[in-house]
Parts: sequence; structure tokens; C-alpha cells
Amino acid sequence: MTAHQPKHSFEPEITAFYCIYCGYMAADSAGAMGVQYPANVKFVRMPCTGKTDIRYLLEAFEQGADGVYVVACPIGNCHHVRGNERGLARLERAQKILDEIGLGSERLEMFFMSGGQAHTFADSVKKMTARIRELGPNPLKGELKPVAAPELEDEVVFRGRRLTPG
Amino acid sequence: MKTLNRNYQIEPAATLVVGGGIGGMRAALDLADAGLKVYLVEQTPCLGGRVAQLGYMFPQHDCVLCRGTADHGYGCTRPSISPAYIQHNQHPNIEILTNTNILEVEGQAGDFTVSLRQEPRYVDIDRCTSCGKCEEVCPVELPSSYQLGMTNRKAAYKVAARATPDSYVIDKGPYCDDCGECVSICPTEAIDLSEQPRLLSVEVGAIILALGFKVYDSTELQELGHGRYPNVIQAMQYERLASRSGPTEGIVTRPSDGNQPKSIAWLQCIGSRDQKNPFCSSICCMYATKEAILAKQRLGEQVDCSVFIMDERAFNKEYSAYFSKARDSHGIQYNHCRVSEIKEDRETGDLILKYATPNGELLEDRFEMVVLATGLQPPESARYLADNLGIELNQYGFCQTDKFTPLQTTRPGVFVCGAFSSPKEIVETIIDASGAAAEVMRLLNDRLHTHEFTRENPFLATNDLPLERDVSGEEPRVAVFACTCGETISEVIDIPALLHTASHLPKVVSVDMIEYSCFPEVQGHIAQRIQEEGINRVVIAACSNRTHESLFQRTVRSAGLNPYLLEVVNLREQCSFVHQEQVPLANRKAAEMVRLAVGRVIASRPVTKDKHTCLPSALVIGGGVSGMTSALAIADSGYDVHLVERSQSLGGNLRNLYYVAEGYNPQRLLRDQINRVRAHTRIMVHTRTEVVNHSGHVGHFVTELQTRRNGHSDSIQIEHGVTIVATGAQETKQHSLLEFPKVLTQQELEEKIIHHPEDIAALNDVVMLQCVTPEGSPDYCSRICCTNTIKNAIRLKLFNPSCQVTVLYKNIVTYGFREEYYTEARRLGVVFIRYTDENPPEAVLRENQLFVRVHDISLDRWLELPADIIPLSMSIAPASGNEELSQMLRVPLSSEGFYQEAQMKLRPMDFMRDGIFLAGMAHYPKFIEESISHALAAAGRALSLLSQETLYLGGVIAEVDPDICVGCLTCTRTCPFEIPQVIEEGDRVGVGGLGGAAFIDPALCQGCGTCTGECPANAIQLIHYTDEQMMLKEIAGLGTWKDIPIAGD
Repeated sequence: MTAHQPKHSFEPEITAFYCIYCGYMAADSAGAMGVQYPANVKFVRMPCTGKTDIRYLLEAFEQGADGVYVVACPIGNCHHVRGNERGLARLERAQKILDEIGLGSERLEMFFMSGGQAHTFADSVKKMTARIRELGPNPLKGELKPVAAPELEDEVVFRGRRLTPG
Repeated sequence: MKTLNRNYQIEPAATLVVGGGIGGMRAALDLADAGLKVYLVEQTPCLGGRVAQLGYMFPQHDCVLCRGTADHGYGCTRPSISPAYIQHNQHPNIEILTNTNILEVEGQAGDFTVSLRQEPRYVDIDRCTSCGKCEEVCPVELPSSYQLGMTNRKAAYKVAARATPDSYVIDKGPYCDDCGECVSICPTEAIDLSEQPRLLSVEVGAIILALGFKVYDSTELQELGHGRYPNVIQAMQYERLASRSGPTEGIVTRPSDGNQPKSIAWLQCIGSRDQKNPFCSSICCMYATKEAILAKQRLGEQVDCSVFIMDERAFNKEYSAYFSKARDSHGIQYNHCRVSEIKEDRETGDLILKYATPNGELLEDRFEMVVLATGLQPPESARYLADNLGIELNQYGFCQTDKFTPLQTTRPGVFVCGAFSSPKEIVETIIDASGAAAEVMRLLNDRLHTHEFTRENPFLATNDLPLERDVSGEEPRVAVFACTCGETISEVIDIPALLHTASHLPKVVSVDMIEYSCFPEVQGHIAQRIQEEGINRVVIAACSNRTHESLFQRTVRSAGLNPYLLEVVNLREQCSFVHQEQVPLANRKAAEMVRLAVGRVIASRPVTKDKHTCLPSALVIGGGVSGMTSALAIADSGYDVHLVERSQSLGGNLRNLYYVAEGYNPQRLLRDQINRVRAHTRIMVHTRTEVVNHSGHVGHFVTELQTRRNGHSDSIQIEHGVTIVATGAQETKQHSLLEFPKVLTQQELEEKIIHHPEDIAALNDVVMLQCVTPEGSPDYCSRICCTNTIKNAIRLKLFNPSCQVTVLYKNIVTYGFREEYYTEARRLGVVFIRYTDENPPEAVLRENQLFVRVHDISLDRWLELPADIIPLSMSIAPASGNEELSQMLRVPLSSEGFYQEAQMKLRPMDFMRDGIFLAGMAHYPKFIEESISHALAAAGRALSLLSQETLYLGGVIAEVDPDICVGCLTCTRTCPFEIPQVIEEGDRVGVGGLGGAAFIDPALCQGCGTCTGECPANAIQLIHYTDEQMMLKEIAGLGTWKDIPIAGD
């Protein structure tokens, strides 16, 4: 489908859904403690991971996300009792679909953690970013163009990856 | 402190709650909701108390402080139990005074003047942004008391990452040399090291003491080696190790070498049930079991966990099952003995324990770690406060209370809750707290609803907000504000570039850079910009939604916009703080997050709640001690009560209770209560009456009552704002043993003792049998039987000291101060023999003489004991008819058949359905004083609703489109709270006119959205999280990150 670029020039674009309870809190804890993790994930809030909808997960891939994951409260610790278990069941169905259509279920993942687990949160980002870096870009996305490695010294520093129009 | 107006000076509509742990927080919340001003005084720099240090609660191993109240949609509230304590959402009626102690209390019930002294924090809470710079530069390192000395903190520190108030504090102890580094680095000039203590004086009508407890200092018991052997730790240290916010994120390691222990021993009753502390600490059996299960779960099932225990005291709902699970599924070893000696193996740091088995065999065992299950002691400040307040303490140093007024101290107008009155766990503390609040509401009944507030908005507020502007016809006009947060955000994120990018996003008409978006002056600027530019959608890229969304919602609302037309982007905790080394990528992420927020806010619609009036009356179902207590508390506070009892007379179990272990007369309580209930003008008693229908929602229920009279029955319909379920429980009377002559239940024995004392005095041999359950019924600890048996055993011994009384038991559960009756019984010569389920005792009738055969573990042989009578401690079973009533009320039952509360630990008197409360033995077997506390708690919760008058329901909830719904019932199965119902009503006929359509009651929906994700027809949308807002198709927000234009690009 797409000619993959050398992996070092590929910056994964990952979408993470988290619940506003433990998921959001874990992200905040990581922030409060200054635990560093890759800036390759954007977050989408949900009131509970029970809200996880197969359509949302697949939509994210369709819109070009390289990877998607969901961060939930630990099993048994859900604010809504078992929303996270429902969310997991749906995510597993979505994984099956990804396997069937050839995108691969490993691009979709779910993590369970408590609000105080700053390092676990950071590890989940690292794990997904590394995995997606390995897997390469979402093949549904348009053709990619190599980019220079980001530069640090510039004042307005960003030289992000650009998509070739068309 | 606000100047109180003259009216309040005469009759202050204010209260003082001392202690900011869960008990104090709960009580303050109920009082604040009832429209009373609350001064919540805490002597440490932040709220939370002990619970803030616990990662898990038994028996469900959850944290769930977020489920402490019915509020939802706020996220994690730890360490507090309610979003009403989140800094920018703080309840308008609660004033938190940290670092504060009580100096003096003058006046009387209804009108106290309290002098307080607030020690300086040296940090201005309103200006501290928790950037942590002061901590970085502070040269002083001290052991962290939050982590129990297992990690260090600075003298400039935050007690925990999540604290209430959410602010730093300077510990200016002798180690601080006033270097002033923190002052000069603080970007907001929030630190003032010259701050002086404040002396305050407040006028309050009542005081609640929620002082909590002190953990027993196990270094006192030198033989156990705590303090000498590094691998002997006390239970609170273990709690921190096992907590995910602890020093090891939940992996238990040995202090000596940091290795994970392969074997751990728990030693019970450290500082409890001994000569010096003759009471039981009530909670240690359960927490040790929790800690052992956690070890198995964290370190692996191969870890050897042994608990050295005297009796297994698991006396609450599902606790017995929890012990069984620990033993059977996790293989945790329980040894019924005390350890006599601990020695350390110097080379390995292992510990060698010496102990005797129940049959006298001396053993030695090696463990890699030992946890001391330290007991509860009276709080440190107890003595000092008792003197200053003029209240009495009991012989153990805890607060003195009376059995029938368990929440009152010896000084009128001063109430107590939680472990300060006796050792108790979270559930009991919460019950006490709401109960004490009810006592205060009763006392200050003429002042309820004085301080008005509203839950109309997603944040708590007073009623002084301007009218909301209707934006429905307007094109979206988005303003983006980005905060530099001093430099904490802008040192990583290029805010001008970010705003430049944002200005090119669709519908964005205004971009603004702000410094410290949380400061009051900035709020005015944001509001002004919204009004000047005709903005109808707002994005604020600043800090955490969790801590600051309420603030910004308030700002937007004060500018006349619906608070849901706002998106907050967390550039701080979730971007700049965590990507300090990846500046370009962090900027790319920031821009993408702002793009998402703009997309989402364009798709946002105003959300409003439905306004309802709360009817000023209550229905109480059940006329026992709980029902009457609830009814009286509500009626005394000025609201009407319908008290429904299905039998012909009030009183319930109290009618059969003649004396109690403590020596009080329950019959007097019975007479008093019945007289007061019957005479009360606000209580309508319906005896011989049952509830046959119950509908409606909080604030407005409609109930049909059916009364039997002379062979026919009458129905009436009543309307009421709240419902209390107090249907009780009773001693079971079915067992094959009861068919023997001279075998009777303990209750029957009590009747005999009172009515036929001569028969009792003639008895020579009595064998009492504990833990008898009807065949086939669930096995759980009925909690009250041990004390009840001991009470009767002591009575037999007093009648006839030569009578041989033997108690056959599995575990003696005389928790708290009830331990003294156990000690007393043994002193009087009552013999206690433990039996096990493998070898249950048998009754034998031979030549008209009864015998009991029992296997004695310590002798390892069968004994045959003659018995003139055999009293059985029959289990306490839920009231009959619970099944029907629970279905009518649409509230669940537990596996034992008792009512299932909303949340086991934090909401024991609430149901998931708002407006219905639970009191007394309908919840679980309870002592009289516990039933009274629970009934008061239910009344307190009910009163906090009744006094609000206006209730707001709905908001972020799931809505069904009946035109698409096919009535497939998926949502009814999916909902964790069983709220959706498929009904055929009005135009809800469903697709094709088949079977009706789903209906989700806005008053009940918790807003999780679980149903929306499952609905096969996509007929359900969660308000504020609609498909449009979630999928962001317009801007393709879920997928590829967009090109980020750069300034000058």
C-alpha cells in the first residue's frame, strides 16, 4: 500500500482514550512528578472507559491514527463498577476486526492503572510508542515523505512531518 | 473570616467539624448540603486523614474515593471523598482551616464561641500553582510522614502529589535555616516566611469531633524488634508499600535489601487485647487479610503468607466470604496463636518466629518479613481537647458515649464520630459522620437552609450568577486562551506559536496569551473578552481539567455562557511537564490537542439540568429502633414523616430485648421511642401497613400503602421526597437441633432469664453453641451473637456461680470495647472451647440427659459435656419480604439477602438510587447503638436533601432516541446500575411499534456512557459526549496529526 519510510524519520501519531477517573489522574500524576514520556500521544477524555465504542476506535484508525489505546481504572476499581470491563470487551472485538482487515490488533491496546501510578502511565506511552515505531505508520494514511529529525536549537522549533498533498 | 451578621451572632447557622479525615469530610458535606456553614478544622496541612494513605480498602480492594458521593463526572477526588473538596469546586458552605487547633470553647449547645489558632502555612494557597520550584531549591531533607519515613521530602513540600488544599507548605521547623531560596524562586510570590499564626474566633451552633485515632507505637513492645530489625514493619508502612502511590508503586519490598520477600508473617493484636490495651481494635483482622491477599496478588501466589491471629473477626457484609477467599483461593495460612518471640538472622535479615500451636506444640518458623498489625489508640489530641471542650473520655481514653446516644459526647451540642469514640473502620466512621450531622441538624433545625447554594451548574456555586445567554442561533465563535503558567508551560511550549496556529483553526475568532489563568484578575479578563467579542465557545489551554475545569466553567458561566461551551486543554501536567526533553514534539502535541479541543467545542451544545422541588416529607419503612430513630430525627428537624410498620406494634426486635451487655435497659429505650413517635405531630404512624407500590424519583416519590383492618384492607397514596428502608432482620429459628427438648435460641434463653429466673438459677450445666445457621442458608458472621451469648453467660454465672457454662465457638467476635465482657466471662469461669467446621459439635440425648460432644483442639480429643439446656446462637437473617420490597424500590439485595448499599465502604446508608436510604439491620446485623447511628446517618442524608428544597437532576446523562430504539434490551443488560427500562408509555413505542423503547431516567443515570457504546442501533447518545463530539469527523480529530503552521512559515 504505502512505501514505508526509514523508521527513524517516523514519528508515531497515537490517539489515547482515557477515563476522567484513574486514567486522567494517572496522567496528572505523571505530570506532577515530572515523569517523562514520548510526546507522540494525544489524549481524548471519556467519562468512563465503558464509553469505549468500537466505532470510535475504528474511526481513529480510519482518520489515520498509527496506534490507539485506552487507559482505564484497574479492574474492580471502576468508578462505574464495571465500565472498564465492558470497554475491554469491546476493545477486544475491535482488535479482532483489525486483524481481519489486516491492520493488526497490536495497534490497539488497553491499559489498566490506578490514579497514583505515574510510572505505569509513562510506561504505557513508551510501550505503545515503541511498538508503533516498530510497526510503522498506519497504512490507511496517505503516502509519507521523509522528514528531517526535529531540531532543538531553533526558537520556533517545530519542523514536523508533512503529508504530501494528494 | 467573614463578619457574621447580627442575626447569626444570636443564632449561628454554622457548625464546627474537628478533623479532616473521611469522617470529618463526610459530616461537613452533609451539613453544608443542609445549608449550614461549616468550619472544617484540621491540624495537619491537608485533608484526608488516614484514608489518604490507604491504597486499597477491604474487602473489594478498591480505592473508589471518587464514589464517596452521588456526584459524577468530576474524576478522581482523592484524597477527599467528594468533588466538593476540589479547590475550585469547593462547597460554598465549607471553610477549610488547615494547620489549625482549638484553643477554647465557650457557650452552650446552639451557641458556642470557639477560639482557634491557625499555624502559618507560609504559602498562599490562592497563588501557589504547585510548580514545585520551591521544593527543588529547598536544601532541607526530611523523612516523609506521608510515606511513613520510607522516602524523604523537603522542608518545602506538598504532603502528597494529590492534596487538599492543592498547595505546597513550608515546614519551618528547627531544621529550616530561613535561607529564603524558596521565596526568591517562587514565580508567583506565594511564599512569605514571616507569616504569623492567626487567632480566630468562630460562632457555631454545634461541634462534631472527628479526631480519628493514633496508630499504636509498636516499638513499645521491644520483644517484637520493631525499630531494631529492619524487616519488622508496622501495618501502615506495609499499606504504603502496597499502595500504588507508595514509594515502590505497589511492589512490596524488604527495607533491609529492597528484595521482594518470599514469606511474610502478620502478627495480630499488637497493642490490642492485652493487659495494657484490653480492647479489640476491630479492624486489624480485616486489614491484615487484605495485606496478605495483596502480597499474593503483587508478588505472586508462591509467596508464603501466614497470619498469627487469636480470633478471626470478620463481622460485616461479605467479610466472612473474604476470609474464606483468603484461606481457600489464596492459601493464606491462619495460625490461631500469639507469637512469643522474634529473632533476627543477622546474615539474611530474616526473622525467626517462635510460637505454640493450639495443641501445645512449640514451633519455629522463618519469615523474610514481619508485619505488625498495630492497633488503634485514642488520638493524640484527645486528652487536650477533652479538657478544653469539657467532655469526658472513657477508661481507655476514647470519647465517652452512651449506648443509646452513641454520637453524643457528655457535653450537649458536641457530637462525635469515627474512631475517636471507639476503634472502627471506614464504613462505621462514615455512618457515624452522617449520623452526627443528623444530630446537629436536629439541634439547629430552625437554621437549616440558611446558606443557600446550587448544584444547577457542573460546579458548586451560590445563587448569584447572571442569566445565561442563548447561543442556539449563533454561528460558533471560538476564543482560544493559552496560559504560560509563569514559565512552567512556556519554557517548553511556545505559546505565541501555539496561538498563531490556533488562530488558523476553523471558527476561531480570538486568541489570547495569559499568564496564570487561575488568578482571579485573569478570570475577569477572560470573562471580559468573551463578552466583548461575542464569543460563544471557549478553549482554555492551561492545566488540569481535574483541578481547574470547575474554575474555568465558573468564569465562562459568569460571562453568561453555558459552562459546557468550554474545553480545557491540559498543557501543563500532560504536556510541558512530561516532555521537557522533546520540545519540538511537545509543541506538535500541544497544537494537536488545541486543534482537538477547538473541534470538540464547536460540536458542543449547552447542557442544563432539570429543576425539581423536593417534597418536604419522608417515608420510613419499618418501625423498629432504626425506623423510629430515623423518623424522630427527621421529624424533629421539621419535616413530615410517614412511618410504616407491617406488624401491629412498633418496636421490632427491641420488644424482645431485656438487657444488654453494657447494663442499659432496652425496654426503657423502647418505651421512650414509642411515646415520642406516637406523640410527635410530624410523624404519622401506619401500623399493620405495607408498601405495595413505590414510584417516582428523588424529591418526589409516590407510594401506595395498604393497611389491614378487621379483615379488609385500605389503600392510601402518599407523596414524599425521600424514602428510608429500615425493615430490620431477625434471629432465625430453623434448625434440626431445635427439635431436641431443652435446646433453645439465645433470645428464648433471655426471655427465660427475665421471666423465669428461678428455672435459670437451678441450672448446673449449660452448653452454648455459637454460629448456628439454618441448613442451606448462606454462612456469614451475624456480628452480635458472641456479645449476646457472653451477656447471657455472665447472667447465668451471676445467678448461680457454680453453674458450669461452656461456650462452643469458632471465633469470638467481641470487637471494640466488647472485649471486656469476654474477659469478664472468662474471669467468672465461663469455659470457651473452639470448634471447627470439620468437627462440628453434636447433641446427644441419652436417658433423658442431654450431652454435647465436641472435639477439643487443644486436647485433640472428643469431650462429652452434660447439658441441662443448650442455647443456640442462631444466625440473624434478613427480614422476610425483602425480595418484593427491593423490586418495588428498584434497589438491589446482597448475596446474604440484606439490602445492597450504593458503595460498601463510603456510602453504607445510600442506595444507588438517589433519595432512598438504608438504616439498621436491613443493611446487616447490628447492635442497638450501631442501628441508631445508621438510622441517624440515613436521616442525615435524607435531611441534607429535604433541606435543599430545589434539586437539579440530569445533566451529563444518556438519552435514548425512541424513534431509533428497537427495544432490544441490550442497554438494560449493559448498565452497571440497571437503570434503563424498556417501557411502552406515551409515544415510546419503538421501531415498528414493537415492545416499547428504552427509557433512561435522568434522575438516576450516572453518565458513564456504557450503554451508548453497546447500543446496536446507536439509539443512545451521552450528552456532552455525543458521537459528533467524540469522533470529530469534521476535523478528523481522532487520527492523523495535522500540519502545524509555524509563525512566519
